[in-house]
Amino acid sequence: MAARGTTRRIPEKDSTIACVQCDGLAVMKMVKHCHEESTSNMDVAQGALLGLVVDDCLEITNCFPFPKQQDESMDEDEYQLAMMRRLRRVNVDHFHVGWYQSADVGNFLSLPLLESQYHYQTSIEESVVVIYDTQKSSRGFLSLKAYRLTPQAIEMYKDGEFTPEALLKLKVGYENLFVEVPVTIKNSALTNIMMSELAELIPEEEGSKFLDLGTASVLEGQLRCLMDRVDELNQEAIKFNRYQQLVSRQQQDKHRYLQKRAQENASRVAKDEPPLPEEDITKLFRPHPVPPRLQPMLTAGQINTYSQHISQFCSQSLAKLFITQALQNAKEQNSSP
Amino acid sequence: MSRFFAGSDSDSDSSSEEEQIQRAPALAYAFSDDEDEVKRVVRSTKEKRYEDLTNIIKQIRNFKKIKDMSSMLSSFEDLQRAYLKAAPVIAKEENGQTPRFYIRCLAEMEDFINEVWEDRDGRKNMSKNNYKSLSSIRQKLRKYLKDFDESIKKFRENPDQPDDEGEEEKRDEDVDSDAEAPVKVSAAAKVAVEPTKDFDDDSDSDSWPSDSESDSGSSTDDDKITNMRDRFLKKTGPTQEDDEEKEKRKEDRRNERKEKERKKMRREDEEDGEGEWETVKGGVAIPSEKPKMFAKDAQIDLPLVINKLSEIIAARGKKRTDRREQIELLHELQNVSEQHQLGPAIVIKIKFAIISAIFDYNPKVSDAMKPEYWTKLLERMYELLETLSKNDNVVISETITEETENFESAPYQVRGCVLTSVERLDDEFTKLLKECDPHSNEYVERLKDECKVAAIIDKVQIYLERHSNYSEICRIYLRKIEHLYYKFDPKVLQQKAGEVTKDVITSVQEMEKLCKYIYAKDGTDRLRTRAILSHIYHHALHDNWFQARDLVLMSHLQENIQHSDPSTQILYNRTMAHLGLCAFRHANIKDAHSCLVDLMMTGKPKELLAQGLLPQRQHERSKEQEKIEKQRQMPFHMHINLELLECVYLVSAMLIEIPYMAAHEFDARRRMISKTFYQQLRSSERQSLVGPPESMREHVVAAAKAMRNGHWASCNTFIINDKMNAKVWDLFYQADAVRAMLTKLIKEEALRTYLFTYSHVYDSISMATLAEMFEMEKSNVHSIISKMIINEELMASLDDPTQTVVMHRSEPSRLQSLAMQLADKINNFVDSNERILETKQGNFFMRGQNQVRGNFRGGDRQNYRGGNQEWNRQRRDNRRQEY
Repeated sequence: MAARGTTRRIPEKDSTIACVQCDGLAVMKMVKHCHEESTSNMDVAQGALLGLVVDDCLEITNCFPFPKQQDESMDEDEYQLAMMRRLRRVNVDHFHVGWYQSADVGNFLSLPLLESQYHYQTSIEESVVVIYDTQKSSRGFLSLKAYRLTPQAIEMYKDGEFTPEALLKLKVGYENLFVEVPVTIKNSALTNIMMSELAELIPEEEGSKFLDLGTASVLEGQLRCLMDRVDELNQEAIKFNRYQQLVSRQQQDKHRYLQKRAQENASRVAKDEPPLPEEDITKLFRPHPVPPRLQPMLTAGQINTYSQHISQFCSQSLAKLFITQALQNAKEQNSSP
Repeated sequence: MSRFFAGSDSDSDSSSEEEQIQRAPALAYAFSDDEDEVKRVVRSTKEKRYEDLTNIIKQIRNFKKIKDMSSMLSSFEDLQRAYLKAAPVIAKEENGQTPRFYIRCLAEMEDFINEVWEDRDGRKNMSKNNYKSLSSIRQKLRKYLKDFDESIKKFRENPDQPDDEGEEEKRDEDVDSDAEAPVKVSAAAKVAVEPTKDFDDDSDSDSWPSDSESDSGSSTDDDKITNMRDRFLKKTGPTQEDDEEKEKRKEDRRNERKEKERKKMRREDEEDGEGEWETVKGGVAIPSEKPKMFAKDAQIDLPLVINKLSEIIAARGKKRTDRREQIELLHELQNVSEQHQLGPAIVIKIKFAIISAIFDYNPKVSDAMKPEYWTKLLERMYELLETLSKNDNVVISETITEETENFESAPYQVRGCVLTSVERLDDEFTKLLKECDPHSNEYVERLKDECKVAAIIDKVQIYLERHSNYSEICRIYLRKIEHLYYKFDPKVLQQKAGEVTKDVITSVQEMEKLCKYIYAKDGTDRLRTRAILSHIYHHALHDNWFQARDLVLMSHLQENIQHSDPSTQILYNRTMAHLGLCAFRHANIKDAHSCLVDLMMTGKPKELLAQGLLPQRQHERSKEQEKIEKQRQMPFHMHINLELLECVYLVSAMLIEIPYMAAHEFDARRRMISKTFYQQLRSSERQSLVGPPESMREHVVAAAKAMRNGHWASCNTFIINDKMNAKVWDLFYQADAVRAMLTKLIKEEALRTYLFTYSHVYDSISMATLAEMFEMEKSNVHSIISKMIINEELMASLDDPTQTVVMHRSEPSRLQSLAMQLADKINNFVDSNERILETKQGNFFMRGQNQVRGNFRGGDRQNYRGGNQEWNRQRRDNRRQEY
């Protein structure tokens, strides 16, 4: 699967997939796998998605996890192929349409993710990566998001050049590395019927957990992560700044050198001597290596997602606080008379 | 070559080579003459074989002379073949021993080949053929010599032995009938001895003043005589009785040597008329077993003894002098001089010589001397000092030269120095101790000698106080101090407690006296530094914390100790270690920590205190370096317990660090107080499963964890329990006092930690409850909390009527402080980002403006920060106003 596709021009506007439709079964399987992984060890869980493309809609009908432990005897590619072959025998869609990964409060953006998605998308054009946020889901917000690399990002990765100029030319920023594809979960009619039947059987729960006000601890964790990222980004900025200073100093040196040379040549011409030979100026002033901008870009993207999460969380918490205030008031009013 | 080197070291290489080359053939000629004679007498198979061999050897020598390598190679091959042929005969006649002349030839050839090989220029100039032969003969010879390794070694030991003649004689003997043998032997012996005697005499008379040559000459001929004798003995006796013979031979050799000595004496006597040598006449009664000093009829008087002494001393340090014999001779001389009552000066002089001879007995300076010599040394030293103290009219000084020495009349003048001998003795004692296994009885036995050493030092001290100048007195005082400073004297503490009356002189007073003298009189910095350090050490050892601390502060040693020599630095480290322990006993935890932190931070206190070498990777330390470091090590009885040191350090680090950690939990710029302690803590946190503590470190870490949660009781049990008592606390002199102090401190610090950690969950705490929780006096709790409030560590106020602490909650919550940190960081980030932007647009005319802007912004930010702080304070102030 890692084989690179033939280089072809990717259209500026990506319109292969408009939406992702996910089967309830696949979702349940993903959720189960991710939670198992996150409770046992804090690593990320990954797996493959199976399904088919209908017009501009990607239907995910099934999935299977990748083996976690790095076993030397087992070839991962072979495992996937064998898995798909066997699933096909039991009449499951065997079209590989992408992969999923677990995440912890939006910290999924990373270099390996970018790399794998690049390989997926270059070999299977329609493939998506589905991110399932375990932390958030465990607090009651089901968070299932599908992402695709933008054509610019693919182009950037293909070039393998992460200089500021290249990024500028491609107009790639942290905000347009990935594009989110809306996900809908669809169950078959039979499942729906069973669900409603089950809902009747299960006794109604006391809604005690919905108004969890433990805002401080969650926010603390997120703030800490955010701080780390900001530190990283700051380091990168300092690095880049140093680079800039180096370049500017070199430019000045170069300029001075050229001027001196021109003067000398002028005086030589005046004395009817041959001008000095043109030396290779690039040899004298080797350009400094440009610090790659990919990592800062990814860090910026992470900061972005963190901030979004925090603001979202805060607005939700605020709403909750208002509700509790109202409840409290109501209770006091009830009790006072 | 070796035989020349043995004789005259000073000869240049080239000359000796020449000599050898010339001499080898000469020997051969002489030898061949003999050969001819023998040929005429008898011809047996053995004769024939030997003749072949000798002929070939002769050829080889000739070739050697003209450096014809190719012919030499062929001759050598011939020689090998001839020897093979002769092998059965040799086996039969000589008991399988290779004849000596054959060995000599081989050895000479080897020397020659090596020499030629070494001479690179000569080798280059050689013809190709010769060169090839040279390399092949070199290889062959080397291979061949392996078979004769031992005999060649034996040969090289005394190459001067006139083997050829011996060999010839042997052959003669074999030829002759057995009955004739004894006569022959005696004749041969005469012949052999006589020329050597002549030679001996010659060499002696020629070059007596330059001792080295005469010495070597005499020793070699000595050897010769004995060896000749051996040979003859061997022949007369059957081979089975070899062992007996060997013993006999040894005895003979000894006799020979004695004879030699006697001869020498006599010779001297004979020569008296010629030069500066004095005649001695008249007999002396000397026990017959001892080596005879003087001729029987010699008149012993002062100059003679002095001469004899200088003769013996002159042999000192020579390669071939028997050091043990020297000591014996000196003893003998001493006896003689005592018998004849030649005055104390000469006796003292001889005693000095004996002591230095005993010192010399050990060839290596780095090794310790043997115990029997050590005891002898102690005795001699003691005797010397006795004599010195008895004879007040003897002046001993290094400034007196050999010429100005006066042994005859009352103001005796002797060259020498008691102080250096004693210092050397002391050093030897330390070496001796280091040599022993510290856990054996031997060490204890050795250590018992310290009393004697100390007594000697005391004696010298008394002597020097009477006779000597300040600098020497300072030196001997320092020696005394170094024997005193590390010893604990319980009397000091008893005196402090009033159990012992004031007039008892304790070691502290003694130290005080000695050190003060050194402070006042010493001219060199080193002695003073060491005295101060020892003084501090001694004070610290006896719990005189303030004196010790004041001395440290006054001396300013911390600033320049790194410029002093290693042993002083080690002493400094030891002093700091004890100062730390002393501070700990006095509950000055901060001082204890700062004293010990330098030692412990590096993680190798063992090396810093010179109590053992840590195993290191190979390249880090060379052999010499290791030797030097070994010399610096402290003897075991002066060691400081490292576990105690580490425990004290960790506990004091815990008592400082844990409250600090609790107080500054969210401080971004929190610094570590003790790195080592942090490491311990972190390594324990990294473990997934923490078992009950085993080692001392684990105990401290467990205690630290308990303290972090404010559990003073469990913290206390982790620090003070049977295990820790046995390991650490019982090592203190007043262990119970230390434990009580520790418990008190743990309670206090646990209370502080508790208040830091949990104050945010309280609105108010009753002090009575706190006192109950920590089992402390209420007034104590009150004072601790007041202190915290005054230092603005705790935002609270005391409410007197209800006896409660009311919390103010002015410090930011966890989330708030995090948010503030984040704001800080983002500010930094924005800064660096804007700098990037500036350089991007960095036009020349814009730069000035930018700088102004930057400055402005910087100022702004400061304002913002300042405002922030003020904001805090304001709020606090508001609160205060409220309450």
